[in-house]
Amino acid sequence: MNFDFTDDQEQLRDAVRKWVDKGYSFERRREAVSAGGFSRAAFNEIAELGLCGLYVSEADGGMGMGPVEGMVAMEELGRGIVLEPLTQSLIAGGVLSGYAPDAVKAQWLPNIASGEALVVLAYQERGARYQLNVCASKAAQTPAGWAVTASKSIVSAGDMAEAFIVSATVGDKIALFLVERSASGVTARGFGTQDGSRAAELTLANTPATLITLDGLTALEHAVDIGIAATCAEAVGVMDKAMAITAEYMNTRKQFGVVISSFQALRHRAADMKMQLELARSMSYYAALKLNAPAPERRAAMARAKYQLGNSMRFVGQQAVQLHGGIGVTNEYIVSHYFKKLTQLEMTFGDTLHHLSEVSDRMQDTAGVFA
Amino acid sequence: MDLAFTPEEQTFRETIRAWVQTNLPADLSHKVHNALRLSRDDMQRWAKILGKKGWLGHGWPKEFGGPGWNSIQKHLFEEECALAGAPRVVPFGPVMVAPVIMTFGNAEQQQRFLPGIASGEVWWSQGYSEPGSGSDLASVKCKAERVGNKFLVNGQKTWTTLGQYGEWIFCLVRTSTEGKPQTGISFLLIDMKSPGVTVRPIVLLDGEAEVNEVFFDNVEVPAENLIGEENKGWTYAKHLLSHERTNIADVNRAKRELERLKRIAKAEGLYADSRFKDEIAKLEVDVVALEMMVLRVLAAEKNGKQSLDIAGLLKIRGSEIQQRYSELMMLAAGPYALPLIQEAMEAGWQGDTVGAAYCAPLASTYFNMRKTSIYGGSNEVQRNIVAQTVLG
Repeated sequence: MNFDFTDDQEQLRDAVRKWVDKGYSFERRREAVSAGGFSRAAFNEIAELGLCGLYVSEADGGMGMGPVEGMVAMEELGRGIVLEPLTQSLIAGGVLSGYAPDAVKAQWLPNIASGEALVVLAYQERGARYQLNVCASKAAQTPAGWAVTASKSIVSAGDMAEAFIVSATVGDKIALFLVERSASGVTARGFGTQDGSRAAELTLANTPATLITLDGLTALEHAVDIGIAATCAEAVGVMDKAMAITAEYMNTRKQFGVVISSFQALRHRAADMKMQLELARSMSYYAALKLNAPAPERRAAMARAKYQLGNSMRFVGQQAVQLHGGIGVTNEYIVSHYFKKLTQLEMTFGDTLHHLSEVSDRMQDTAGVFA
Repeated sequence: MDLAFTPEEQTFRETIRAWVQTNLPADLSHKVHNALRLSRDDMQRWAKILGKKGWLGHGWPKEFGGPGWNSIQKHLFEEECALAGAPRVVPFGPVMVAPVIMTFGNAEQQQRFLPGIASGEVWWSQGYSEPGSGSDLASVKCKAERVGNKFLVNGQKTWTTLGQYGEWIFCLVRTSTEGKPQTGISFLLIDMKSPGVTVRPIVLLDGEAEVNEVFFDNVEVPAENLIGEENKGWTYAKHLLSHERTNIADVNRAKRELERLKRIAKAEGLYADSRFKDEIAKLEVDVVALEMMVLRVLAAEKNGKQSLDIAGLLKIRGSEIQQRYSELMMLAAGPYALPLIQEAMEAGWQGDTVGAAYCAPLASTYFNMRKTSIYGGSNEVQRNIVAQTVLG
């Protein structure tokens, strides 16, 4: 039982925080949002920090690190509401390392780690909401290998990525494929999302694809769980900073001749925010520490974590805006962007009611962290 | 970072579990598991069993005869006791006054009082709150006047939990009205058999006399019963409160009671009702999150780190969870929680409980649990403290 970070982990945190503070200003972010919600230059800088290869072995050109390092990096990116989706590189690194044939690993992992290839998960379909086992996309064997015909929805940075991890059925089972954006039959129609970042609707028409695994649902669940843990950590960073911004504002803003942090009604709200933040941080630790557990235990833990995080995100985001008063609902001031980020993260990889249902369905007779 | 207990901690847990299994009387665990009434005898029986083993003061350092366990070991001990259905240790002696005597008392006081606390022979009570001093504890008025080598105590304490059984009481008394209220308080140990002490039970909303008023009318207390220095009592009291945050969260009991809630809900057919089942699922996550928070605090303590600024959150969350599970258990019983049958609170009663036997105490427990967000510093006072860490 130990929740301390190692010196190496603290150094990683410092390095990422330094980049966010110095290299990822709100102005730079604003420009990236105006330019479409994705900056290749910023993504490359994240890669230069080694973050894209956190879950890639050193032999494959990565850092060979684990969920705690992933959590540390995501928390820090969250503090800067960074648009560029490191979560996707963590998923790609983790899933290919765990499930792909050696040749695919050798071809892709070094490029994922270096950031040359942004590989993103394309799994959601219209009408499937958050269900992973609903998949109308299909794959078929061809003389040259495999071809996939698919429609995938809200694919993170989909028109900026070099390749996709795509779920498609083979017979009645879901398999996972790697598809290059430059391949024939690929259409990626990009658009902005509510938090200022970017996504795309992806269609594949008989597109050549490389098989990752025929046991695709297992791998997809794992992929989403890596995404959930990363999202939880990112949200902790976003909330931590949103709280700090709010506390600073409350200690500066005066009404009725005094700083508004002197009003008990507002102080209690801040205490409630702190409660939600720390419950969230505790459950983000829990998610990171359960990410390598056997699948049933891991799935149950991620549902619990995302349920807590979802509630915390909504409360902290809404109250951060509320405690700012009018300035909180402007687009110019920074806090509304933290709120929108939290809102989007709540609805990523399963929203709060979805995960409540998961927790409820998986409930055992026992109780607690170790049950 | 590691969520697992070490092999040594696991072995420790097994040892505790085996010992509790052998030594916890079945009639006591039956009462605890079913929320039936515990008598003074029941509580003291378990205290003496622990005392004989040297574990009643399980948080005590070795130099005072305790086992010298670290924070994780203490937690594992408490968890094993809670899950097995052991009665809660009445904390006033071993958990509350003993550390104050160890830290601020003199050698004579330590030799005189600690053995009786460690063995469970002497029942201690807490004399803090007064009719005019609830959350504003520093305003206590109960007066102790120095007359020669004695104090003359006059005034009243209230909400004294289980004070009707008390043999000794530790009190915050007013010894000076100079300066700030905090600087005129002393920490006094009073023999409750002294002439002039009157204890009057207060019946609470569940019909049980769990707390008392204690009146002091010209009670003579030898000066050697003063802990530390005169007018420094507030410092000692704060020291005591700082020790009690994880304990008051009571996450181990919450785990046991959540399991009981699940059994009751299943027996009442409520797992088929997704609305009800989801409420249990929410509570399940609440309990896991609280446990993670408690473990973070304990692990930091074990590693000798400054205690995290989240300790103040534990009391708020823990009490909310206690209230919620008792509420859901009552709601699970539905109409069968309504009959008020005091006899059904006694183990072995064979009468008609209308609903299943487990339904009988559920409403009483629910009513009783309202105290948890009020005692130990109300949750609103706790929020003031938490806000201080956020806003300064």
